[in-house]
Amino acid sequence: RPPEDREEVRRRLMGLIEGNRVMIFSKSYCPYSTRVKELFSSLGIGCNILELDQIDDGANVQEVLSEISNQKTVPNIFVNKVHVGGCDRTFQAHQNGLLQKLLQEDSAYDYDLIVIGGGSGGLACAKEAAILGKKVMVLDFVVPSPQGTSWGLGGTCVNVGCIPKKLMHQAALLGQALHDSRKFGWEYNQHVRHSWETMIEAVQNHIGSLNWGYRLSLREKSVAYVNSYGEFVEHHKIKATNRKGQETCYTAAKFVIATGERPRYLGIQGDKEYCITSDDLFSLPHCPGKTLVVGASYVALECAGFLAGLGLEVTVMVRSVLLRGFDQEMAEKVGSYMEQHGVKFLRKFVPVMVQQLEKGSPGKLKVSAKSTEGPETIEGIYNTLLIFVISDPCTRKIGLEKIGVKINEKNGKIPVNDVEQTNVPYVFAIGDVLEGKPELTPVAIQAGKLLARRLFGAASEKCDYVNIPTAVFTPLEYGCCGLSEEKAVEAYKKENLEVFHSFFWPLEWTLAGRDNNTCYAKIICNKLDHDRIIGLHILGPNAGEVTQGFAAAMKCGLTKQQLDDTIGIHPTCGEVFTALEITKSSGLDITQKGC
Amino acid sequence: IAQYQEVKVSSFEEFIQAVEEHNGKTIFAYFTGSKDAEGKSWCLDCAQAEPVIGEGLKHISEGCVFIYCQVGEKPYWKDPNNDFRKKLKVTAVPTLLKYRTPQKLVESECFQASLVEMLFSED
Repeated sequence: RPPEDREEVRRRLMGLIEGNRVMIFSKSYCPYSTRVKELFSSLGIGCNILELDQIDDGANVQEVLSEISNQKTVPNIFVNKVHVGGCDRTFQAHQNGLLQKLLQEDSAYDYDLIVIGGGSGGLACAKEAAILGKKVMVLDFVVPSPQGTSWGLGGTCVNVGCIPKKLMHQAALLGQALHDSRKFGWEYNQHVRHSWETMIEAVQNHIGSLNWGYRLSLREKSVAYVNSYGEFVEHHKIKATNRKGQETCYTAAKFVIATGERPRYLGIQGDKEYCITSDDLFSLPHCPGKTLVVGASYVALECAGFLAGLGLEVTVMVRSVLLRGFDQEMAEKVGSYMEQHGVKFLRKFVPVMVQQLEKGSPGKLKVSAKSTEGPETIEGIYNTLLIFVISDPCTRKIGLEKIGVKINEKNGKIPVNDVEQTNVPYVFAIGDVLEGKPELTPVAIQAGKLLARRLFGAASEKCDYVNIPTAVFTPLEYGCCGLSEEKAVEAYKKENLEVFHSFFWPLEWTLAGRDNNTCYAKIICNKLDHDRIIGLHILGPNAGEVTQGFAAAMKCGLTKQQLDDTIGIHPTCGEVFTALEITKSSGLDITQKGC
Repeated sequence: IAQYQEVKVSSFEEFIQAVEEHNGKTIFAYFTGSKDAEGKSWCLDCAQAEPVIGEGLKHISEGCVFIYCQVGEKPYWKDPNNDFRKKLKVTAVPTLLKYRTPQKLVESECFQASLVEMLFSED
């Protein structure tokens, strides 16, 4: 090859190396090249890639490259003009932090990271990034509900979700405990009443201290917090609008969308004017009185449950199934217990109109509903109508279209890859906005932390969405980990599964004279894999507490044998899992008689 | 410079009285171990926090009230049944709080200027 040509190639290559933040010389069929490209992609870093097998003088280029860098092979990577090496050396540099140093972000942006949404996921991600030394901002803003309800920093879980819900569930359980206590010898005046106002005040005070705690936590870690509504205006730039309508713009190298969801109304006459949702219930200043709950989501059943437990007259109107997405055998048992304990269910009805008969706190509402199966219509009069059908992600009014972030147009959710990255490389998403991921606080927190560590801490651990345990805090609690029976059958086929099940009678319930043959536990075992437990379900007191430990065991690959080898703690509810003998396939009766 | 009102009290009863007198206003309260004749407090943390609080006061809005409350001598403070602990739930000194809200800073949190500023400028 004539020297002039070589000189030209050299010039061209130097141009590429000097003109690009990350320059990868690659071959399209080379798996090591692919790995390296994936690494940079998952970090949201743009690269210039030259595929040597797809250019005419590829061999020539490879030779000159070898002279420049002393490396004969591809992939050959340069970062900010520094020769990093091949695939191994690049991953090493990523592990030991050298890559981060070389990639040092320009101070062209105001922040290294802006998180939109100050809930469970957003705060976890922001704090972790700050701990790793990055300049971080959190934007959090609550658009008031149609009833005018708003709240402080912390997101759904803290303000209008898990926290107040569990506290009110506890209030109802204490009512039950008071009732049982006489059987254990407690004697007191007959009249025990519940004050809604006292409970709400106590719950709101606690929430207030949590809001304040989050403010402190962000300040201590020097995370900038702005109580403003954030929306994208162009690439790398958002506009933040505060309560007074003042706008400020901020730029960042990376963004995380953690805007969560809000309850959806029914789209019928009178819904927004007269109905409330979970956004309003937990700070409602007056007792809701006789209540109609529309929906059979876990939120609907949990709220219906504790309202009934506090002594209110509650009806649940369900269009089709209870607890959609959950194991249906367990869902029906949850509903059945509620029904036996005073909650009315109107199955296969949908409301069509809500009218106000009387104003008040609460007022009186007339609800008209029609059957989903025929022409039948019914009417009812209630003090309060609670809507808990489904929630919609807050993704349609945050300017995503301005920067080309794709969302699922049908449900508003954001699809991401296994590193929570959207289709726009510097934009990530976590929490309830995600397509196809469990909508749970601990999931969002874990995803947020790991994301921050991958982006800024040279870590590579991804969030594991398998075998995530959860609990539903209905009057009879339900805890589960792994697959529902329906999903297990779909994935593995019925003949490859063995389901063990049992009723159990908590000792504390015996004296109190509470139901036998109601609390229930089952495990689903994969016969093709050493009877590995792929689904675990329990209906009973403290179901969440019981399930947590077993979730860890399932993460370690718990099998039926190991469960049988585990000695139970007596007398507890959890021990039922260590003594499961009867299978569904045997057809044997599991009804208990005594003891 | 914002016009806030500073009230100095040195007992629980005086504190309650001051709160009642200024009912309806935004009240900030700072609880510190009492100072002796030479102006020295038995509480070392309180001594460290005081200048930070002093700086932070510049961020108080007009019309607010700042109550500077000396809680008493060390033995009184250490008694688990004293009125501050039982009736106000103030269990540590120094404590800086915004009365009738969950907003408070306790002990070493009072040394941090950015946190103190945040509490005083809450809207």
